[in-house]
Amino acid sequence: MQLAGKHVLHAAPTRVWAILMNKDTLAHIVPGVSRLEQTGDHTYKSILDIKLGPVSGSFTGNLQLDDLQEPSAFTIKTQQNSKIGNANAAIAINLTPVGDNDTEIIFDGDVKLTGMLASLGNRVMGGVSNTLAKQFFSNLEKELDKEPAP
Amino acid sequence: MSTNGLIGRAVKRVEDKRFITGHGNYTDDIILPHQTYAVFVRSQYAHAKILSVDTSAAKEMPGVIAIYTGADLANTNGVPCGWQVNFKNGDTMKEPKHPLLVADKARHVGDAIAIVIAETKEQATDAAEAVTVEMEELPCVIDAAKAVQPGAPLVHDDVPNNKSFDWTLGNPIEEVNAAMDQAAHVTTLEFVNQRLVPNAIEPRSYNSSYDPVSEKYTLYTSSQNPHLIRLLMCAFVLGIPEHKVRVISPDVGGGFGSKIFHYTEEALLTWCSKQIGRPVKWTSERTESFLLDAHGRDHVTKAEMGFDAEGKIVALRVKTYANLGAYLSTFSSCVPTYLHGTLLQGLYTTPKINVDVTAVFTNTTPVDAYRGAGRPEATYLLERLLDLAALEMKADPAELRFKNFIPPFDGVQQPGYQTQVALQYDSGNYEGVLKKGLEMLGYADVRRQQQEAANNGKLVGVGFSTYIEACGIAPSAIVGALGCRAGLFESGHVRVQPTGKVSVYTGAHSHGQGHETTFAQVVADKLGINLDDVEIVHGDSDSVAFGMGTYGSRSLAVGGSAIIKSIEKIIEKGKKIAAHKLEASADDIEFASGRFTVKGTDKSVGFGEVALTAYVPHVYPKDLEPGLDFSSFYDPANFTYPFGCHIAVVEVDKETGKVSIKRFVAVDDVGNVINPMIVEGQIHGGVVQGIGQALFEGAEYDENGQLTNASYMDYCMPRADDLPMFETASQVTPCPHNPLGVKGAGEAGTIGSAPAIVNAVIDALWSGGHQVKDIRMPLTSERVWNAMNS
Repeated sequence: MQLAGKHVLHAAPTRVWAILMNKDTLAHIVPGVSRLEQTGDHTYKSILDIKLGPVSGSFTGNLQLDDLQEPSAFTIKTQQNSKIGNANAAIAINLTPVGDNDTEIIFDGDVKLTGMLASLGNRVMGGVSNTLAKQFFSNLEKELDKEPAP
Repeated sequence: MSTNGLIGRAVKRVEDKRFITGHGNYTDDIILPHQTYAVFVRSQYAHAKILSVDTSAAKEMPGVIAIYTGADLANTNGVPCGWQVNFKNGDTMKEPKHPLLVADKARHVGDAIAIVIAETKEQATDAAEAVTVEMEELPCVIDAAKAVQPGAPLVHDDVPNNKSFDWTLGNPIEEVNAAMDQAAHVTTLEFVNQRLVPNAIEPRSYNSSYDPVSEKYTLYTSSQNPHLIRLLMCAFVLGIPEHKVRVISPDVGGGFGSKIFHYTEEALLTWCSKQIGRPVKWTSERTESFLLDAHGRDHVTKAEMGFDAEGKIVALRVKTYANLGAYLSTFSSCVPTYLHGTLLQGLYTTPKINVDVTAVFTNTTPVDAYRGAGRPEATYLLERLLDLAALEMKADPAELRFKNFIPPFDGVQQPGYQTQVALQYDSGNYEGVLKKGLEMLGYADVRRQQQEAANNGKLVGVGFSTYIEACGIAPSAIVGALGCRAGLFESGHVRVQPTGKVSVYTGAHSHGQGHETTFAQVVADKLGINLDDVEIVHGDSDSVAFGMGTYGSRSLAVGGSAIIKSIEKIIEKGKKIAAHKLEASADDIEFASGRFTVKGTDKSVGFGEVALTAYVPHVYPKDLEPGLDFSSFYDPANFTYPFGCHIAVVEVDKETGKVSIKRFVAVDDVGNVINPMIVEGQIHGGVVQGIGQALFEGAEYDENGQLTNASYMDYCMPRADDLPMFETASQVTPCPHNPLGVKGAGEAGTIGSAPAIVNAVIDALWSGGHQVKDIRMPLTSERVWNAMNS
């Protein structure tokens, strides 16, 4: 399944970058995080609790931020396992400065699903991933609001 | 010999009382003392190596009794395939093991890795979630035509190119090529006959128990053929003597073929019941039904039909890739071959035919017989070609058929028709059904309306399908020569009780067909007794002597004939008893309307009195055994060949591509009819399933081998408001080789209807100037719109 979209944030790319690369803030941004444990540079073990219609379950897996090109691009790679199916994703993220103090985030990647997620959830997975993306950006905006601009 | 007119009467189905009042007794309704429940741990991947299976945590969960994995069954056989097909070069087909639990790798989504047995289903479900399976995903292959390409992933490591077998039938290919080269016109069609999910309303369910004292197993199974399951499970899988296994198929909620096959769960539960010494039950979830009940169709085909300048068919050439799925299911090998290639004569005098089939393994659910089984694929191919050829040659599709029909023959005065593809048709009047269909339709008017619609910018189309099927499966000697590993006869046991009531034990099995009514009509009619005085017993291997079950529209033609043989024996013995009572010679006794009468006199004795005398033989012939109880076996001399004509009128919405069925005319010739209401019901249901294939249904796999529409949210079934009122009629051309003259009606509707619908849509598009050759089924609005706008 293709996952792509874009979103404009009221912050410069360097600030957005800093928040995304910080373990504590990242835990607040990724939807459904109940545990995020750092295992290496930008590498995490995670437990996510997701409850969105047919996609309800506890996902255990790993999360890796890779291909880092500060502050303009990186790739999120993740493998998540659950009783209702597994998800395997690689999503390229680009941060482009817009105007004086804004950033446009463009994401594009592929998600591979198995099990019930594939057989039952496929029809609604587009909607579920859009909702998760919205949550991600809304959480990110909240973090940006918290931290006073330098 | 008809005595009270019950044969041919639209009697209401006696079984419906219990079904519509909620008193059916299905396998899942059966709860045995000390019952346990099983849940499976299944592969989420289409193709993946199993690295480890850890059951230690699950075994500690509350209520867990036992967990078994593939390693525990390493020395147990897999489930067998019931039909051997050989490669063109004579080699035996590749028949890799279909294990009860996989140990090395999973080959399709849903392949079973472990079975968890617990006190309750909920406990088993919880414990199954605690089983940890480590797997390494492997590249997979889904499409049959791609699976044989060099370098394609191998489903079974020891099956090169994923090829189970290749196979050919008909005239030598050189002769067909030569005839095709001479043809004035050749119509070519490359198409997919898509994969379908069977969707029986009752999910599969099994409940097995073991009695350590008698050392006997009892398996309740939602099967179309309990004796066949016993035969396969005892002889091929578990090596248990047959007298130590009782198999019962109580009420079964639909099968459509999907409950013919011996599934791994049946044998595994039976094995487990002895291991734990308690009964084990498993009932499929609906998602499991989608993923595991053998699918139907899935052919990728190129077909060419050559015509001479007058429109006579001169040659047919067919190349098909048949998708078998991950394993060979029980009858999977005969469906694309002996039930498909053998039907490519159709109703036509085509002099040269060659069919070539390559059957391949893929990382998908196994494919096997689904209502019609091979014959819908053959019919779709032929009928699409004919209507398309008519469009291409600017000929009328009905006229083109009249030009090519095999002339009428009754199989008695005129011999049967020998086809180019092995079969000999029994009897037929093919032009008769088309003439009747055209009359019912008002063909000239419909074509006029189509022209008017076109003038008004609307797309209306007429589609034809004149089909034939091979039913009454099957003459054992013939199928044996073709590789079938079983006989396909049937048993029929008629027990007259002392009071003259009659119990009939048949090896056929009813799971929606209404045998308890139809068979009772036959018996009551022949014996001249009331319908209420006849009981039909089926589905229990301990009470029914033997049986091969119900599929291939065989129950009445084969099972009914076995019952007739027993009835004949009863009447013959009854005549001897009556003769003794009436002090006459048995040769002078006539039996009619339930009475034994001395010819030319008014001296007679009733059936009930003769029955009583047989069991209270005080005044009785010296050389005659007491009792009135006969068992017979009937092996048919030939297949039966029902045929018919289906015509669809559709309108296609230009803006949206939506197809609406305006008319559907079906004239079916299924031989003699015992209960016209049941036959009409079977035709209706079958037609709807064919329309389902044409417009709505299809199993959709993604490139990773995940079935993406494994629920009723996503798998579209036809509904009443998608359908017009059907206009049905029957023609009767009796079968010449069975005592009832019946041919079978279970599959006819499905076989005939799908091509009629698709042909009508294509015709509608041509009427608007869109010269589209094919749209892939199901013909969704999107696909039709794209076909119009590309």
